[in-house]
Order: sequence, then C-alpha cells, then structure tokens
Amino acid sequence: MLIGIDVGGTTTDAVLIQDGDVKRSAKVPTGRPQNLLKALLSALDAVSQDIAPEKLKRVVFSTTIITNLIAEGKTSPVALLLIPGPGRNPAEYKFPNSFLLKGAIDYRGREIQALEEREIKAVATHLKREGISKVAVISKFGQRNPSLEFRVKEIIEEEIPGSKVELGHRVSGKLNFPRRVATTMLASATKEQYGHFVSEIQKALFERKIKAPVYILKADGGTLPLEKSASLPVETIFSGPAASTMGALALTSEKESSVVVDIGGTTTDLALILSGKPLLASKGAKLAPYLTHVRAFAVRSLPVGGDSAVRLVKSREAKAEEKEEEEEKKTAKQPERQIRIGPDRAGPAYCQGGPEPTPTDALRVLGLSEIGDLDLAKEAISGLASELGKTEKESAALILNRAAELIATAIKDMYLEWEEEPAYRIWELLQEKKEKPKTVVGVGGGAKGLIERVAEKLGVNPLIPPHAEVGNAIGAAVARPTLTLNLHVDTERKEYSVAEKGEIVKLHRTGIKNINNMRSGEAEALAAKLLQARAESFGISEYAGEAELIRSEVFNMVRGWATVGRLFDVSMQIPAGLIPEWKGGEAK
Amino acid sequence: MKIGFANIKKVLKGEAKENKEKKALENNKPEEMEKKETLEASGVGEQQDMKPGYGKIRAEAKKKSEKTGLIFFPAFDWAISPTHPEREERLLYTRDQLFEEGLMDLPEIAEYKPRLAEYKDIARVHFCVPDVSAQATTPHLISAGCGLVLGDALMAGEIKNAFSLARPPGHHAMRVAHGNRGFCNINNEAILVEYLRKKYGIRKIAIVDTDVHHGDGTQEIFYHDPDVLFISFHQDGRTLYPGSGFMNELGGPRALARTINIPLPPATPDEGILHILDELVLPILKDFQPELIMNSAGQDNHYTDPLSNMRFSAQGYAKLNEKLAPDIAVLEGGYAIESALPYVNTGIILAMAGLDYSHVREPDYTSGMFVQASRDQEALETIISTQLENWDNRDFLTEEAFAKNEAFYRHRKNIFYDTDMIQEFQEESIRMCPKCQGYISIASTGQKSYKTTKIFGVSVPIYACKACQQEAFEEYKSKTHDLKYDYVYLQDKKADQYRAYNVKLRQETLL
Ligand SMILES: [Zn+2]
Ligand SMILES: [Zn+2]
Ligand SMILES: [Zn+2]
Repeated sequence: MLIGIDVGGTTTDAVLIQDGDVKRSAKVPTGRPQNLLKALLSALDAVSQDIAPEKLKRVVFSTTIITNLIAEGKTSPVALLLIPGPGRNPAEYKFPNSFLLKGAIDYRGREIQALEEREIKAVATHLKREGISKVAVISKFGQRNPSLEFRVKEIIEEEIPGSKVELGHRVSGKLNFPRRVATTMLASATKEQYGHFVSEIQKALFERKIKAPVYILKADGGTLPLEKSASLPVETIFSGPAASTMGALALTSEKESSVVVDIGGTTTDLALILSGKPLLASKGAKLAPYLTHVRAFAVRSLPVGGDSAVRLVKSREAKAEEKEEEEEKKTAKQPERQIRIGPDRAGPAYCQGGPEPTPTDALRVLGLSEIGDLDLAKEAISGLASELGKTEKESAALILNRAAELIATAIKDMYLEWEEEPAYRIWELLQEKKEKPKTVVGVGGGAKGLIERVAEKLGVNPLIPPHAEVGNAIGAAVARPTLTLNLHVDTERKEYSVAEKGEIVKLHRTGIKNINNMRSGEAEALAAKLLQARAESFGISEYAGEAELIRSEVFNMVRGWATVGRLFDVSMQIPAGLIPEWKGGEAK
Repeated sequence: MKIGFANIKKVLKGEAKENKEKKALENNKPEEMEKKETLEASGVGEQQDMKPGYGKIRAEAKKKSEKTGLIFFPAFDWAISPTHPEREERLLYTRDQLFEEGLMDLPEIAEYKPRLAEYKDIARVHFCVPDVSAQATTPHLISAGCGLVLGDALMAGEIKNAFSLARPPGHHAMRVAHGNRGFCNINNEAILVEYLRKKYGIRKIAIVDTDVHHGDGTQEIFYHDPDVLFISFHQDGRTLYPGSGFMNELGGPRALARTINIPLPPATPDEGILHILDELVLPILKDFQPELIMNSAGQDNHYTDPLSNMRFSAQGYAKLNEKLAPDIAVLEGGYAIESALPYVNTGIILAMAGLDYSHVREPDYTSGMFVQASRDQEALETIISTQLENWDNRDFLTEEAFAKNEAFYRHRKNIFYDTDMIQEFQEESIRMCPKCQGYISIASTGQKSYKTTKIFGVSVPIYACKACQQEAFEEYKSKTHDLKYDYVYLQDKKADQYRAYNVKLRQETLL
C-alpha cells in the first residue's frame, strides 16, 4: 500500500492506494503554518488507521515547509561571500549581508585572479563579532573550478569554529551566478530548520511503527528519500503544484498532452503535460524576490480560487463615461457594473459561513456542487443579482464565466511564453510547430463546474478524472524519483565536471584511452556511468534504466588552424514519471 | 507626401496604407505597359519632401519601454568549415559569460526568439545567383531574421534599443551575391534597412560599421543612396582585408559624402577610436539627423583579435556603444573567441541597457596599457578634417557631380570572393534622374574556375520616381531576351516586387 500526502495552504490531502486504486482519502484543514506537522500527521493517521504498518510500502509527502519558513522569516541569518570577478558591477546585486572578495575564475575554469587571504580573514573576524555562523561562498564559474570556494571555506572554518559553510558549486552547477547565489543563500538559511522538521517526521513515523521508505516530493515532480532531502532543502519548494501535475499525469492516459488546472481555495495553478511529460521551466523557480536554480515544472499561479471574494466594480468604460458626465454636470446614469474575482480571500465561502460571496457559492446555486448550505449560497448571490439586475442563476453563471475567462487567458499566456522560448540552435528553431494540448484536466476541489467553461473558451475537451479532488495526494503517492546529470568535459584541460556534484576530476581516471581524440559516444557513456553511480548514492538505482539523454554537444576548440581539444556538454535525466506499482504495474 | 514618424504610427494602424493606395490610384493613369505585364505601383508619390524624424523614434520608444531587446543566436550547429573562424565554437564562451552573468534575467533586458527571414526580404537587397535559396541557407535566413524580429519590436515600442547577437555575419555581402565573401553571403544590416523602409516608411538611416574590416558590402549596396549614411571605421585597407575603405570612396554622384570611410592606422587604441567618434562621427550624425542608427557591430578591433592589429578593449566597445547609442546593433566579425568576445559582448549589452559596465575587463587588461602614438594622432586629425570638409560640402559635391554626368553614370568594378574563390566583373550604370536617386543596372559576370555565370539586374529604389520605375521595368524586359545573360533580375522596391528570369528556360519567378 502507498500513502501520498499533500500539505496545501488551506487543506492537507491524503490518500491510501492499494493495487493501483484509491482505497481511502482524507482532507483536513492545514490551519496555521506552525501546525504544518500536526496537519500532516492527522492526514496520515486518517488514511492509515487500523492498517498494519508493515503493509505500507511507501510514504510520500509534499510540503510547503520551505516556503513557510521563508515567509515567516524563520530562516537563519547567512553571510554571503561572493567572488564575482569581471562582469556586472557586483554592487548592483540585491542580496542581503554580502561581502565581495577578490579573486576570479573564467568560463574555462582558469583562475584569472588570486584570492586575498587577509581580506577573507577580515570578513571572518567581522562575522565572528556579529555572531554569524552560517556562510555561503559563491564564485562566478565556481562550477568550472571550485578551488577558490574551497579555500575560502577552509579559512572561514579555521577562523570561526563551528561555522557551517555552504558552497555555490555544490548547490547548483548551472550557469547563472546570481541565481546560484540566491539558491545557495536559501539552502544555507533553511537547512537547520528543515533538518528539525525531518527529524520530527522521522520520530512520528517511528512512534507509528511505520518502517516504509519515506520520500519528499520535489518541485520537478520527483521524489527524494527524506533523509537525503535534508541536504537539499530548497529542492522541495513548490512541491504543491508538482503534486497536482503528477496527479493529473497519473489520472490521464499515457502519452497524452493536457493543460492541468488545479483550482484551490485561493489560487489556481496551471501546468502543461506534453506527450506524457510535464513541462519543466526553462530556468529555475522563482521564490520572490529571488530567482533560483531549483528545477521546477513550468507552473503558473493566478489568484483565483473557490474562496476568492466576488465583488462588483465599475467597468473601465463606465468610469470614463461617468467622469465625462460629471464634467458636463449631468445626472449620473446607473453605471455599468463588472464582476471582479479575487485577488483576495475574505474567508471561507458564504455558504460555509464566510463573509462574502465566492465562486463556490455560485457553483452551489447552479447545483454544480454539494459544498455548503444552498440557502446561504442563494443569499450570497442574491445581493449581487439585484445590483446586476439579473436572476440569481444568471448572476451565478456570470461569476463562473468570469472565473473561467481569467483562467483561460492565463492558459493562453502560458502557451505564448512556451512558444516564445529562445532557441540557440538551428534545429531547435526548425522543430515542428509546437502543438497545443487538446484536453483541460481539472484536479483539486474547485474543478467541477469551472473546467467545462474553461475548456469551452479554449475550444478543447474538459476532463475531470475520478478522484480528481485528491489528485495532488495521488500525484505525491505515485511519483517516482527524478535525477539529472550535467557533464562538462574539457579535453584540452584534460578534466571533467558534473554540475550536480561539484567536483573537477582528471580525465585519465575515467579509463578513456585517447583523451585528445575523445568522441561524443565516450562522453555520453561517461555521463551514463556517472548517472548510475549517482542514482546508487541516492538509493534509487532501480530507476537508472529510465535515464534519457537530453542534450549532447561537442565543440572543437580550434586555435590557429588546428584542433587543440574538444568541449563536451552532456545532459541526462531520469524524468518525472510514475512508479510501476500504479495502475497494476509490477513492483520493482 | 510626407512619411515622417507621425505616419509610421498610422502605417501600423493601416491608415497610411490606405492613403498610399489612394495616391497610387491617382497616379495610375494610363501607362505604356506591356499587355499582360502591369506594374503595380504601390509606392509613394513623386515629390519626396520628407521631414527627418531624428530622435523621434527613439524618444517615442523610450517613453514606452526601458528595455534592451536581445537575440542571442550562436548557431551552435553551423560552421563554414570545421576549423574556420566562423565555426560552432565562436560564441560558446560568450554564451558562458552572458548566462553566468544572468543577463537574461535582468528586467532591463528582453530576450527574443529568432525567426527566419523570408526570401522576399533577401530579394529586396540582393540579386542572388541563381536564386535566393542558393545564397541564403537556413542559418543565413535566421541570422537576418534576428534583425527583423528586433526591428519589429523596436517599432512596436516594446524596447528602446536592440542587439542582434547572431551569426553568420553579413557586412561583406554586396548587392550581387555570387557566393560567400569575407564569411558573408547576405547582408543582415541592408536587409533590415530595406525591411524597415518598406514596412514602416522610415527614410533616413545611418549605419555605423565598427568592425575592423571595411564594411564594403554595406557600402556598395547603399553607395548611390543619399538617404542612407554609411560610416565605417576600420583598419587601413592597405594593411587588411578587403583592401578598400579609403577616404576617396565617398559615394555615388547622387550621394557624395553619404559614405564616410575612416581608415585607422594599425594599433589604434580606445583613445583614438573614441576621439574619432566624438570629433567626426557624432557631429556628422547630428547633422544628418537619421531616423534610426544602426551599428554594424564587429568585435575584431580588439587587441587580441587574431585577424587584425588594432588595440580596442571591452571598455572601449562599451563606451563606444554608450556614446553612439545605436537603435540596433548587429553583430559582425570578432574572432578572439576566448580573450575578447565574452567580455566585449557583456560590455556592449550592459552599455546598451544603461547598466554599469565599469567592471567588465579582460583578465590581462590594465587601463593605460595602450597609448595612442603621436604620429597616428596626426593621421587621425587629417582624417577628421578631410571628412568633415567632405561632409560640409556634400550638397555642392553632389550638384557638381550630377551636372557633370549625362543621362547615366557608368563605372566598372572587379570583386573578389575570398571564401568561394569567385572573380566578379561588374558594369554598373545609374540613371541620373532629376526627380529621384535613379535606378541602377548591373551587368555582372561571375567566374569560379572554369564556370562563368552572367547576370543582369535592375534595381528600383523604394523612393524612385514613376518614370524611373517604368524605365527600369522596360530595361528588365528587354534584357530577358538577351541570350548573353543566364539570369535577369528586376528588384522593384517601390512596388515591392522581385522578378528573376532564367533566360535559357524562359522562366520568370516572382517574389
Ligand atoms: Zn568597419
Ligand atoms: Zn571583421
Ligand atoms: Zn527618377
């Protein structure tokens, strides 16, 4: 049996899955952010009570813990030691608590300026005095040569005993220094608190005698063993939208292309599944105000949900007209009113005892949902109806129509952004025209009644699969691990580096015979071997066979008229997908 | 009829087009055309008293946007040949630097996606032998298309200026394209100029070529066009390919001093180039009042470039772009792919986006490492005074030259295509029309080893008069019966119609 739990902003959903079907599901209110662990455990208990713990084969959580920690300011103070080298003026970076150090590495990983140790020691003395023990060291092109980052760490650890130093190249090996700074800073700031959270979960599971492997869902829809996640906490941000996307993947047929619409209480999350693969953001996730390197689905969130407050506002033309009339000192006509949804939530829906009308009330009035009290719902809508001069049902339909319009527009924007993604190679630009999905899949509580309208506006088919209301928890339960491996080989320097591992290794240790004549095939084989080893270290070697090659490039380095070496860039991944236990597959 | 900036907005709304059509109808009185072959005159009227709109476009765009548009198209899957300077690796380290800097994330930068230019966009500039597809392959169409995407974004007010960081380059490609010259097949800047003129009615454009090599292709294409001011900085042609770009190359008789060449002594550093910019280029630009400034942005003046001998630095390039403030910069050459390009491009982008570029420095660069030699300083002063004098006398020079010539101005040219080893012989004649800049006819013979191709092309400028358009059409028609030629072309920019005639097959294609 499998358990999946998604801790959302409003509710925490859980499912128990047996033989590829949902046996039990539960929804509990999440409550205040501090109650996150409590909500998680009560959802767990709700679906697992009187089940023998040894029958559980896998437990997966998706949490908002990192987002909460940051929003509540419960993170640790971190000092940023930046080694920017030439380029943008580092004074323009907007990072708190940062210190600029001399020293520089270039794009090939060559040291072009040395560190100044006295400068580093002075910073250390200052930090010691301030009582800051968490330090992040990030060098531009540190992923091509981490030696400066290592040396700074050594000095800091020597000068500040007990300090915790996080290195940029270990957090991400991708190009983009400012994003690496932000990601390393967030990793360093949340690590300790996240560690507490992990150990509390482990304690609670121990008390419940649950010995099944426990995973946490990442923003890229992959699972990570709970104990491994403690070293990579930022990977878990945005796991909520990832859970519902994986849920839609689980609940639709294989290889399908669809738009996933998760209508929650206060927001609607959108994602794209293309030929059975959720679309990843071309760059990392944004954790306002910071852009990060965290690999995440290309999700879009808009402030429209079942509990969004519905109000009437004067339409823009009406306002302009009124102004004119005022100027002409004429008696004002009845101004035209327009329905506005959100962006705020005033409380629960009126039919559930809330203060203001909501889309949930509209759904109730039209008989599209059973949630809340019908009379209260009618009361909520009647106020608006009389102002609009329409019947309750007409007004309810107008509300849903407006909500569907907002969602459909956001979907179109998302397509546009996807189509307009820059290309850097001729074949990328010549690829067939990107085909838009023909299905809108609704998951989450508010899907009913709205999805059809959204689909109609887009001219595609609506689909609300069974168990859609707990699709997010299902997604968590059946998501498989993901893993990436980005290999960079420089045969002139006779070394390679793996972005995810952050170390530079000499090529002669690979057993490749003729390094000067290394070929793409050999670089790809090396990447596959390294991915296998990395999968083993994460305890997910059974999925290494799912790895795919996503990019393999070779550049001849020509100096004068002779080739002096080759640069290879090879990217592999175990993409987001479902574990074989789902839909009657065989357990591995 | 005026097509100043005010009308550009109307063109966008379709109003100006309506006007044009009406005007065309009025002008379309019975003409002596061949029976079935009629020219669709969609051009503007005969009297062109356009008011320059200097700065207006930029001012207008700036009101709307503070962003710098950028297309980075390194063509990582294209090379002329594996070890050629124009190969996959050329912008690799530039990619690394730009991406590591996180420039694409900056709110001041808007990244755009390339598109392919259409064959018609190419035919608006070139006589491609035998046809457009033979000279403009997919990478060329993309590289030219990058400029068009940015031109559209600029005109729509989405951006305040733009940089097309795309390859392959184009500034050595001339009007007749028999093959590849100096790594170029088609001329990206010229294609953008004609596109902007056709689509938005812009008339006066300045192109400043800052590549170390003389921009001979761009010069040749606009040599007789008084509306396009072409200024080229380059290392003295006596010491570098293509061996041209001397001060006496001033433009055709109707466009004298609209071509300004600045042959710099080898080893000129930042100081010298910026001095020329301040004392010669900027004053001329101010005087000319172009509606749009384009930078043909080569990066091979760099002190580490393997193909030249200049001493320009990344700081110098950034400063140059800040001062010149081009509306659009288009990448040309630059082959110090490790020691220069990552830094030069970062500097140019920051400068165009109005960001601080003072920290962009090559690892081995120290300020003051290159000083202007005093003997060279004198040479620069001579260039400045000579060219300023030419510029000041431009109207007089033009009148004089016009008076000297009869109905046609004719001259001969030899052109060598280094990359493709083609020798071309040209006879060019320009109609000395009192009403417009006159149409151009070119008879050209291209020789590649034993193979000889003869073509004849007639080009009608976009702002040509009706009579020239008609005469040009008749000349095209008559040459289609002349078996001396393999192909005959009519490039009617006024009608935006491009004809190519295969004499042996007696087949005409129309773009
Ligand atoms: Zn030049
Ligand atoms: Zn050049
Ligand atoms: Zn004329």
